[in-house]
This record gives sequence, C-alpha cells and structure tokens, in this order.
Amino acid sequence: MGWFKRLYHSITFRLALLYTLMFAVSVSGLFYFVFWTTSGFAQRQFEAAVQAEVAGLQESYQRSGTGGLVMAINRRLDPSRREGTIYLLVDPVGTPIAGNLRSWPRNVAVDDLWVNFNIRDLERAPKDLAEARALQFFTPEGFKLLVGRDIREQQQFRQQLLQSLNIGLAMTVLLGLLGGFVFGRTIMRRVEAITTTCRTIMSGDLSKRVTVVNAQDELGRLAQSINAMLDQIERLMRGMQQVSDNVAHDLRTPLNRLRSRLEDALRKLDNPSHVDAIEGAIGDADKLLATFSALLRIARAEAGLQRNFAELDLSAIGEDVAEMYGPLAEEKGLSFTARFEPGLWAKGDRNLIAQALANVIDNAIKYSPEGGAVAVVSVLIKGKPAFVVSDTGPGVPDEFKGKVLERLFRLEQSRTSPGSGLGLSLVQAVARSHHLDLKLEDNHPGLRVTLTFPQSVPAPAKIQDSIIVETALDAGNAKAA
Amino acid sequence: MLLQQVSGSDVASSGLKPVVALDPRQKVAGSVMRILVIEDDREAAEYLLKGLRESGYTVDHAANGKDGLFLALSEPYDAMVVDRMLPGPDGLSIVESVRKSNITTPVLFLSALGEVEDRVAGLKAGGDDYLAKPYSFSELLARVEALLRRAGAQPENTFLKVGDLEMDLLARKVIRQGKRVYLHPREFRLLEYLMRHAGQVVTRTMLLENVWEYHFDPQTNVIDVHISRLRQKIDKPFDKPILETVRGAGYKLEV
Repeated sequence: MGWFKRLYHSITFRLALLYTLMFAVSVSGLFYFVFWTTSGFAQRQFEAAVQAEVAGLQESYQRSGTGGLVMAINRRLDPSRREGTIYLLVDPVGTPIAGNLRSWPRNVAVDDLWVNFNIRDLERAPKDLAEARALQFFTPEGFKLLVGRDIREQQQFRQQLLQSLNIGLAMTVLLGLLGGFVFGRTIMRRVEAITTTCRTIMSGDLSKRVTVVNAQDELGRLAQSINAMLDQIERLMRGMQQVSDNVAHDLRTPLNRLRSRLEDALRKLDNPSHVDAIEGAIGDADKLLATFSALLRIARAEAGLQRNFAELDLSAIGEDVAEMYGPLAEEKGLSFTARFEPGLWAKGDRNLIAQALANVIDNAIKYSPEGGAVAVVSVLIKGKPAFVVSDTGPGVPDEFKGKVLERLFRLEQSRTSPGSGLGLSLVQAVARSHHLDLKLEDNHPGLRVTLTFPQSVPAPAKIQDSIIVETALDAGNAKAA
Repeated sequence: MLLQQVSGSDVASSGLKPVVALDPRQKVAGSVMRILVIEDDREAAEYLLKGLRESGYTVDHAANGKDGLFLALSEPYDAMVVDRMLPGPDGLSIVESVRKSNITTPVLFLSALGEVEDRVAGLKAGGDDYLAKPYSFSELLARVEALLRRAGAQPENTFLKVGDLEMDLLARKVIRQGKRVYLHPREFRLLEYLMRHAGQVVTRTMLLENVWEYHFDPQTNVIDVHISRLRQKIDKPFDKPILETVRGAGYKLEV
C-alpha cells in the first residue's frame, strides 16, 4: 500500500487525475450532444417519411375510396420497392383487407397515433423478432390503416453510435491520464530537481545552485528566486564568518601577545612571590583562548562538510577515546567501564566524532561524584550504531535538557566547576552536521547521553577483528608486579 | 599528587633558566639557524619575530606573498613559518612553488582555518606541520624546533637512548639504569615520541596529534594524567626525574 499512498500524495498523480476528470466531463458532454442530434435527426427523418406516405394513401382514399386505398397499398407492397415497410388495412371488425401484416398488433392503444410493436419476418428470418414503429390512420367508415417501418436498422445505428462514442470516451480518459502523467512528470521533475538541490545545500554545500531550465516560465522564475536567495544567504554567511573570524583574530592576537608577555615575564622573574599571580593570569588567558577556539570549532562543526566524511570504525574511535579518558576517571576515584561492539561502522569526520564522544565522557567524569561510575558503550539500537555514555552524577533536570545544549549555558549547580559551557554545544553541533540523534536521559541517578548515527555502513574491504574489547583500566600494572 | 610535586620542582627550575631548549639550533648546525616568517599581520609578525629572536634564531620577515616567495627561493633557510592567507600569492601556492624548485626546507603553516581539510590541503601542498590560530608562542616554538630537528635527523632508529633511559623498538623493551620498565602500549608510544624529541619542549597538542593521532580539543588535561602515569614508571622508582613539565608549554625529556 505504500506505493499507492506515495502515488496518491504525488502532485503528478493528482494533477493527472484532475486533468483527466475535467477532460472526460467535457468530452462526454460533447459526445452526448453529438449522439442526441444525430439520433434525433434520424428519428425525425423516419417520421417525416412515414407521414408523407400516410398523406399519399389518404389522398388515394379521398379520391377513390377504400378500393383505391387497397390498390395503392398493394402497389406499394411491390417487392421491387423499399424493404422493411409495413402496411395493414383492417375493416371495422379487425379482419385484414390489405397489407403485409398478418393481424393488427396487440397491445396497441387506440388513441396513440404512433405505435411500437414487434414483428417477425416469416419469409426471410422467421426466428428473429424485430421492432417496428408505425402511424395509425382511421377512415370515417371505421377502417384502420397502419403504416410503419422496421426500425431495427435505426436502433442498430443508434447502438453503434453509442458504442463508438463510449470507446471514444474510454480512449479519451486513457489518453488524458497518460497525457496528465507525462505533463505532470515534466513539471514535477523540474520541481524535484529544485528539491534535490535544496537538500544538497542543506547538508552543507552552499555553493550548489538550482539549474534554470527555462528562465521565462514560472518554475524558471522560482529557480531564479531560490538562486538569488542562496546568493544572499551565502553572502551573509560569508560576511558573518568574516566578521567572526576577524573578531576572533583581532581579539586572539592581543590575547596571544598578552599570554606570551606573561610567559616572558615569568621567565625573567626575580621575585618568586609573583609567580602565582602570573601563572594565574596565564591560566585566565588560556581559558579565554580555549573559549574562542571552542566557539570557532562549533561554528565549523555546524557548517558540517560532508565531503570530508569517511567510513569510521566506531569501536576503534570509542577505544581510543576511552583509553584517553579512563585514567582521568580513575584519578577521580570513579569506576570506568568501556565496552564496544565490534564491526560498527558509520560515516563521519573522525576528529569531530572523537571530539563529541570525548566531550560527553569528559562531562560524565567531571560531574560524577567520587566513587561514582562512568560507562561508555557502543551498540546497535534498532539497526543504528550508537554511543551511550552514562554517569552517576547529578543528571540534568528535564526542563534544562534542551538548554544545556545551548552555547555557554551552565546549570546553577555546575557554575563553580571548571568548564566553558561549550562542551555539549559542540556535541550538538557535531550531531547536527552528522545527522546524529542526540538524546539526554535520566540514568537514575545521573545522566545518560545517547548519540545515534543515522545509519550504519558496511566496513571497508578489510575485515575487522570480531573480539569484544573490554577495557577496564587499572591503576596498577599487573605485568610489572 | 605526584603531578603536583613534579610541577613544583619545575617551577623552580624554569625560574632559573630559559624554558626554550637551545639544543636544536646548536646541535644541527654549527652556525645560527635561519628562519623565514611570511605573515602579513604586522602585530602578529612582530611578536613572532621578537619571540624567535629571543630564542636565539636569525629571522627574516616578509609581509606579503610576493616578497615571501622571493626570499624563500633565493635565500637558504632552515625552516619557514608561513601564514596561509596572504596578499599576493597565498601560503599554499608559495609552498607549492618552493617544493617545485626542489627546496626541502621544513614548513610550518599558520592559519585561522584549523579544520582537517585545511590541514590536509596544507600538508598536500608540501607543508610539514600545521598550526591553527590561536596558538601560544611556546606551541609554535616547540613545533618549529621539532621541524628543525626533523630536518637534521637520522633515519628512524629502532634503538633510542636518552641519558640512562633506553628503548628497544623491536623488542618493545624499555630499560632505565639497567632495570626493565613495563609500559602499556600507549605509554610506550608516548615515551617513544618524547625520546625522539628529547631535549625539546613537546606540547600537549603535539602529543595528542602524534601519539593519539587525533586533532581535537580534549577539554580537560587528559594528557597530563597519562604523563603522570608514565612518570610513575620511568621516574618514581629512580633517583633523578628526567621527564620535566615546562610551565605553560608542555613537557621535556631531559638529555
């Protein structure tokens, strides 16, 4: 049913349907008119001919009485003349006197001038029942005259006409549907091309433009408007980047100088009592520089350049980062477990994914109290690879779960702990450019962060080890003991 | 705790003598090393020149791509520091031209564009290292010295020796004062990098890039924790510590 639903929702299909419906209605109107005029014309012609004949016979009767009428009928019944004509003259009792009908047809109302009845041609086709239509005429003496025709032919003509009109209508509907599809598809293909281009642009390639097929028509104008809009967006973005780069540069350069002057001062210092002050100042400068770098990194990560993406071995990245942070967790007296399912591959930028995972782990370690536990795993969730990092820290209240991803936002309780408030924003930026699903949940107690990749990719040619690696880092060295 | 103690002793030592290791410039060549700086930003260039001169190098400066290219092609330098965005030919094309003329002088790129693709583009053009702005001067100096060392270095040894510390890369063995030291694989690589750059300041970023092979900001000083673990094994059991913390810069393995 999926394809039907898709078809129904496609504008092409609906346009074609509407177009066909309208076409069918107008064509059937036209056909009905043709049918009505054609068959009506044939009927009127038939009736005029019968009436003329009756008039002729009436004349013979007036001139030479009933005898003349009989003679006239017999003359007209001459087989060399027209076929299918019906004549019957009966006396007031109903006995046939002249004509080619055996008897006066039954069920014929006396007051109707025109009558319809069934006849059977006994000589030629005794089995076929045919329909006839005739005009009645009464003489003053009470004789009844019936003049008519076999109307089979006429009915056949009508039926044939109706049939060909129906075939015509069916073909119109068919051709209309087909035409509608072709017509709709040509337009929709152009619309689809615009959509595809827009998607590419949204995924980070702002240099793409919509191809303008015909600059004069509506779609062409739409494409041109979109392109103009993109030009403007690109200009604005470049401007903004320029400004932020300039600001970053202009502020960082003096900061750098400040820092190196402090370093210089520290080197030449005679009075050791100033060492702490200067080192503190260097630390502050470093914090400022780190914040600038983080802001720039976020901006770049958000712009997300998918052309730099490669197939990544998620367990390898997980192991690297876990190995890097494990000792930090232990230094803090936390139990640290890392478990990575092998063979999980996804597309992305290796450094950005490592950075995102590192930031989440760093947070987990930072906020877990002594004796707490931090766990890092990679798993398949509904067929999609994911990193899950859980801690036993204070967690994040529901109302702040969206907020903590914002730049420079920090929870009241964590204001005193070190950090820039940019760690999770960077994770969010990486998630956005990689189409990762970033979820913050309650770990009862603590926080559980899940980073789910949009899809897994097959591992590149080289087959990976299928050993589940369990990293439980211990402070001591078993080998050395 | 241990980290704290070691750092404390470093403060005292760094107060007495310059942080900058003078070794590369004395070791690799008899004369003073020459460095070319191509940087259009006047202020940035000024403090770069001042810092490098104070560290004992002879420095030439070009403020645009044209002059920079001319100097790079006509004068013999031991290293070049090239900003990527320059008026005239930009940093990338300068280095490409220099490499086409078969000049193998090591090049350190400086750029506000620090992302992977820019880094890759820089290295492809013939750069040897890439430093994103903002950088601290000590970071730049450490990298320049690493480049100078690399230029005069021997082919990759499988046996390293720094003072009483020995490393056999084939047997994966570390010995200090005749005693075997057991290291985790990462600690081994960390020590190998420090030994290959013995006597030089090695920054945390350099360690992250070369030992872990990632380019990112590790937020907390995770590298410090690994260094402290390495110290537990190579310094603590012995009388004289050789892995020194250089305040505000990084680490140095004493020669």
